[in-house]
Amino acid sequence: MNRKKDKGFESPRPFKLTHQVVCINNINFQRKSVIGYVELTIFPTVVNLNRIKLNSKQCRIYRVRVNELEAPFIYNDPTLEVCHHESKQRNLNYFSSAYTAAVSAVDPDAGHGELVIKVPSELWKQGDDLKVLKVYIEFSLDQPKGGLHFVVPDVEGSMAERGAHVFSFGYQNSTRFWFPCVDSYSELCTWKLEFTVDASMVAVSCGDLVETIYTHDMRKKTFHYVLPIPTAAPNISLAVGPFEILVDPYMHEVTHFCLPQLLPLLKHSMSYLHEIFEFYEEILTCRYPYSCFKTVFVDEAYVQVSSYASMSIFSTNLLHSAMIIDQTPQTRRCLAQALAQQFFDCSKSQADEWVLKGISGYIYGLYLKKTFGVNEYRHWIKEELDKIVDYELKMGGVLLHPTFSGGKEKDNPTPHLHFSIKHPHTLSWEYYKMFQCKAHLVMRLIENRISMEFMLQVFNKLLSLASTASSQKYQSHMWSQMLLSTHAFLKSISNVSGKDIGPLIKQWVDQSSVVKFFGSFAFNRKRNVLELEIRQDYTSSGTQKYVGPIKVTVQELDGSFNHTLQIEENSLKHDIPCHSKSRRNKKKKIPLMNGEEVDMDLSAMDADSPLLWIRIDPDMSILRKVEFEQADFMWQYQLRYERDVVAQEEAISALEKFPTPASRLALTDILEQEQCFYKVRMQACFCLSRIANAMVSTWQGPPAMKSLFTRMFCCKSCPNIVKTNNFINFQSYFLQKTMPVAMALLRDVQNLCPKDVLNFILDLIKYNDNRKNKFSDNYYRADLIEALTNSLTPAISINNEVRTVDNLNADVRLILEEITRFLNMEKLLPSFRNTITVSCLRAIRQLQKNGHIPSDPSLFKSYAQYGHFVDVRIAALEALVDYTRVERSAVELQWLLIMVQNDPTHYVRHKILGMLCKNPPFTKTTDSTLCNEALVDQLWKLMNSGTSHDWRLRCDAVNLYYTLFGLTRPSCLPLPELGLVLNLKEKKAVLNPTIKPELAVENLCLSLTSDFSDEDIDMETVHDSQAFIHHHLNLLERPSTPGKHTHTHTHTHRQKETEPPSVEQSMLSMPATPVPSFSKEATSSASKHGSEHSHHHHHHHHEHKKKKKKHKHKHKHKHKHESKDKEKERERDNSHAYSNSPASGRSLRSPSLSD
Amino acid sequence: MADPAVASGGSLNAGGRGSGSKAASSPAENYHLARRRTLQVVVSALLTECGFESAEKAVVETLTEMMQSYITEIGRCAKAYCEHTARSIPTLSDTVVTLIEMGFNVDTLPVYAKRSQRMVITAPPVTNPPVTPKALSAGQKRTHPPHIPGHFPEFPDPHTYIKTPTFREPVSDYQVVREKAATQRRDVERALTRFMAKTGETQSLFKDDITAFPLIAARPSAIPYLSALLPSELELQTLEETDSSEQDDQTDSENTAGNIITDDPGADKENSMLPPSGVVPSTKASEDNVIDNPYLRPVKKPKVRRKK
Repeated sequence: MNRKKDKGFESPRPFKLTHQVVCINNINFQRKSVIGYVELTIFPTVVNLNRIKLNSKQCRIYRVRVNELEAPFIYNDPTLEVCHHESKQRNLNYFSSAYTAAVSAVDPDAGHGELVIKVPSELWKQGDDLKVLKVYIEFSLDQPKGGLHFVVPDVEGSMAERGAHVFSFGYQNSTRFWFPCVDSYSELCTWKLEFTVDASMVAVSCGDLVETIYTHDMRKKTFHYVLPIPTAAPNISLAVGPFEILVDPYMHEVTHFCLPQLLPLLKHSMSYLHEIFEFYEEILTCRYPYSCFKTVFVDEAYVQVSSYASMSIFSTNLLHSAMIIDQTPQTRRCLAQALAQQFFDCSKSQADEWVLKGISGYIYGLYLKKTFGVNEYRHWIKEELDKIVDYELKMGGVLLHPTFSGGKEKDNPTPHLHFSIKHPHTLSWEYYKMFQCKAHLVMRLIENRISMEFMLQVFNKLLSLASTASSQKYQSHMWSQMLLSTHAFLKSISNVSGKDIGPLIKQWVDQSSVVKFFGSFAFNRKRNVLELEIRQDYTSSGTQKYVGPIKVTVQELDGSFNHTLQIEENSLKHDIPCHSKSRRNKKKKIPLMNGEEVDMDLSAMDADSPLLWIRIDPDMSILRKVEFEQADFMWQYQLRYERDVVAQEEAISALEKFPTPASRLALTDILEQEQCFYKVRMQACFCLSRIANAMVSTWQGPPAMKSLFTRMFCCKSCPNIVKTNNFINFQSYFLQKTMPVAMALLRDVQNLCPKDVLNFILDLIKYNDNRKNKFSDNYYRADLIEALTNSLTPAISINNEVRTVDNLNADVRLILEEITRFLNMEKLLPSFRNTITVSCLRAIRQLQKNGHIPSDPSLFKSYAQYGHFVDVRIAALEALVDYTRVERSAVELQWLLIMVQNDPTHYVRHKILGMLCKNPPFTKTTDSTLCNEALVDQLWKLMNSGTSHDWRLRCDAVNLYYTLFGLTRPSCLPLPELGLVLNLKEKKAVLNPTIKPELAVENLCLSLTSDFSDEDIDMETVHDSQAFIHHHLNLLERPSTPGKHTHTHTHTHRQKETEPPSVEQSMLSMPATPVPSFSKEATSSASKHGSEHSHHHHHHHHEHKKKKKKHKHKHKHKHKHESKDKEKERERDNSHAYSNSPASGRSLRSPSLSD
Repeated sequence: MADPAVASGGSLNAGGRGSGSKAASSPAENYHLARRRTLQVVVSALLTECGFESAEKAVVETLTEMMQSYITEIGRCAKAYCEHTARSIPTLSDTVVTLIEMGFNVDTLPVYAKRSQRMVITAPPVTNPPVTPKALSAGQKRTHPPHIPGHFPEFPDPHTYIKTPTFREPVSDYQVVREKAATQRRDVERALTRFMAKTGETQSLFKDDITAFPLIAARPSAIPYLSALLPSELELQTLEETDSSEQDDQTDSENTAGNIITDDPGADKENSMLPPSGVVPSTKASEDNVIDNPYLRPVKKPKVRRKK
């Protein structure tokens, strides 16, 4: 094999994998165990291949044979426990770097692995001739915590009758959790997969099902799959269960699988899948790469959609009947997403992943545009853009294509993050989602640049290249051409389009962050010129400077005109000549951008100016946030007459700041306009309620939207009664759902929800009649409950009296009665996805929080138990998280953390941590009694060793730790032994990093008094380090407890915090809008300390050296131990596979090695 | 034997005792009491005749009861015999047969009646037998048509055989109907949920009064997704109903909106192409030989054991 042929791709491994057999002989649902073997066919690419490194986690390996010869092996998983027990380090910086190091140590893309197999010396000769090696590994899994998920309902009957099933899952490349492999997206091979399962079960896996054969006792059958297209191990999956089988009626090569009893839902939900297929194949002018496709719907899914080679695993909760409206578009979107990911599924390295995600996200967007319309598409793009902009401005930049030069920590491209982005396994889930979001937005930017036609040509080219490569069965070196890379992608773009998109790539791909514009304008009447000023903020975190063209659209009286301005270094002002003179007297229709001509009432305009409205970057061709200032009437014109939904939405959010009758009128008109996009109208509802609240003293007429709703949805003869439900028109349906929710947010002068609004909503509930409707009204009823919830305002309480039934407010009693009835009815006639229970639980929490009923977590605890529908559990857990924060309850926090460790559903565990991060019981900047050493230790343990089976969960735990304690040593910990560390390299003295809390506090104080940026503080400390240290020594001499210590220091700081000491009081003093479920406390990141950073680097340097030494030792050991008998080896290996400490792998203490 | 006595036998127990204390006001009751008293006198006389000097009240009472039963039975039986022979008033022979039937030696009766030590009892006070209140007559009774002789019984009241229009004008006021439907449904739901809450385990929102707003306790299920995803029977039922009778377009004017979400008409189209559970299986069955899907192929028998 001549590797030089592979241009641009150097395999990190000294061998090439060409074929792998995975055979699972036995799946025991009772014991939740799996037994099987794998056989990898590899070609050495170096002359003396004596070690083979493979990935394997949590598998118990019985024996390894290479070409029929027993081979010794070592199993060492450093990610099991990231930092060792003895370490008293508790700061996150330390953990993150240790974790990154651990993941790197077994990274397949660096040629590493947990399993090191020694090639028997007899084969060395063969290796010299570069002959094929067959590596055979027997393994088993016992109650796997990751990789495979068993769902075994606890009911009577056989496993098939119980609906027991098992499926593979994971965050990114996680196949190593369930069989030994090269767990990389860049190592492709062909596959043979065999699964022996109970005769009543079906095993669904990747590739073509060649045959199904009974075992000799006829009680089991074996499914034989062959995957002739080279595929990476992370794209291999498996699902086994008593599935019902549905062959797609339109495409017979597509098969759908669902759990027993759900077949009718499956039929309905899958009835449009063929359209998605056709769409993708058409735009890519390329056939689907695999010969078949399978969809499997499983319970307790890890994510809603996960895509693998020729199959996708979905959550069973996506299935729905024809009666359900709201779930339909969501399910379709999920299917489209899954299919989009089928076409491009492997990349050269982690750094190229953005191309994969970008392309699949982009073609998914094209599908949305085609199926749901341009409005929906643009709305979605705006939503995604807002999401990424908000995230980056809050958390710092998202980098699509990181380059790591030398792998030194100094070169970390994202120093603002508390985790490394080098490996998928260290990425926080939220970051990863934002990464995907940004990737497809950037693809859209490229499309804007080179046209869609060229874009699709590029995709087609990449795909046909890949398919030619894959069809060359015996030339495995060609397979690497199937791997997507940034380089190949860009080259293809320049070939196809002839355009240079270098600057674009540099700006958005090689660089993180977004652009933040501030715009304002003045009209110069004399020159008839619009003087536009566009400023940028590129100093705050998550922002970058933009230089280049920007489009500005000006709607004048004579029409709409596009101008392209150049944003340059120093030019802030741009003069744009106007085309029309101001002449408002003439009655003439005004032409719009889309060629339409409309009559406008121009009386609101400024008489001197011909400008109706101005839009900056209307096509969203920059990843930006624009804050533009224009007069309220201009926003109103924009809302009424601009046809682009994005412009309308922008206008609505801008109008919130102008609570005037004119704004009210504009919003009401939009609400009534049926031609207007329904999501814009929904947004207008909420804006209207906010405006009404701001205008409460001058508001005329009935409460906002009431007469409108009456006109649209109530009976003509009796306006207080709503028509019987008929949801045939979906726009009206969504509006009907939204309006009461928005109305309930109205407040009167006393800050209470107006009485007639509440009665109105209660009447809607009372007269709701769905008997003649062909659609279910569960979402509508759930929204009515939400409306009731929104109407709640804090109870008036006299000195914290206990909440009793007797002193219940009369209105609240009515609300509570409805909620009780709804919740109880749900037990008898459950609604789809238990939407009503979910709404009721939220309502009850809101009642508790507002002090109407006693705050009590027990109800939520019972609904959060395993065995309830997952949506219900999440809602209950959300309430519990909120309870924990408001009541500062250590008991509930413990309860939640125990559930994080023990719950059978991975998704629920992930959600708990996610919710705790969003709504944390305390943060690094607030003091709390909950913050104590035990909690720090517990969380540390959780992320250090408790979550080693699930990358995503571990990253969640890291996030939570970061939210609660920040990057440095938690302030509640006692001070460790004091010490100065001299960093000889950087020639400065720093305090022992474990004393960092004080430093952090100091920094915070500094940053409050003066607006120093982080660097400034560093300078300060370095400069004046003598005094600084002296000051600290003084502090430390005081025998005060560290907690109190911090207290005094954070005092100034805490005064600025919005949270008053007593929650009860804060609730009372709060304005009467309902207390938001999640108060998004600004997580002011503790400024990181430069000196500390360098110290860590230093520290790590040592660590690395040590490791290297140990490695050497290990190899020596191995050579010695070659000839040990197998019995001992197995014993040792078992002990390793189950020992918790990675140290066990290093300092092999097994009997075989000690002698 | 007087028929009314027979008829009133059942009520004797109720009225018989404590007649003094209770102000027996109604004439019917007075009538019965008088009869009863006479019977008691008879019993007492017979006891005296037999040589008893005194008797406990309870004994007298019991014997009175027995005697009354006996006489009642004779009366009932005699009436039955007479009706058996298509007559309306019992004759002596009816009574005689009855007595014989009851195992009484009739021949001894005249001797007994003429015995010397017989005590003479005063006749019961004359009281008017109670007038049975006339049934409330409704409407005009029909007279006999000419072909029916006059002695035949009269026609019963018309309401017994004529359809009487008793319904009121149905409430057609839309508001009232909706109001009623809503209230009714709410009442049913509330009653049902209260019942379920009463009979099962509950959770409460208040600590002081656990009966206020009782919530049916949340019970985890082994397979929670089934109930959450599958439409309930009620929903299926309504779906069938609305399918059969196409929903009348009450919002016809509103449906003309131009901006219908593009995906959803598609859904409808597909629904019509694939009616629930109808088409797919049948095509599958008919085209089974056409569809070549590996999952539908029969499972192969194991080959002869071979070495690996």
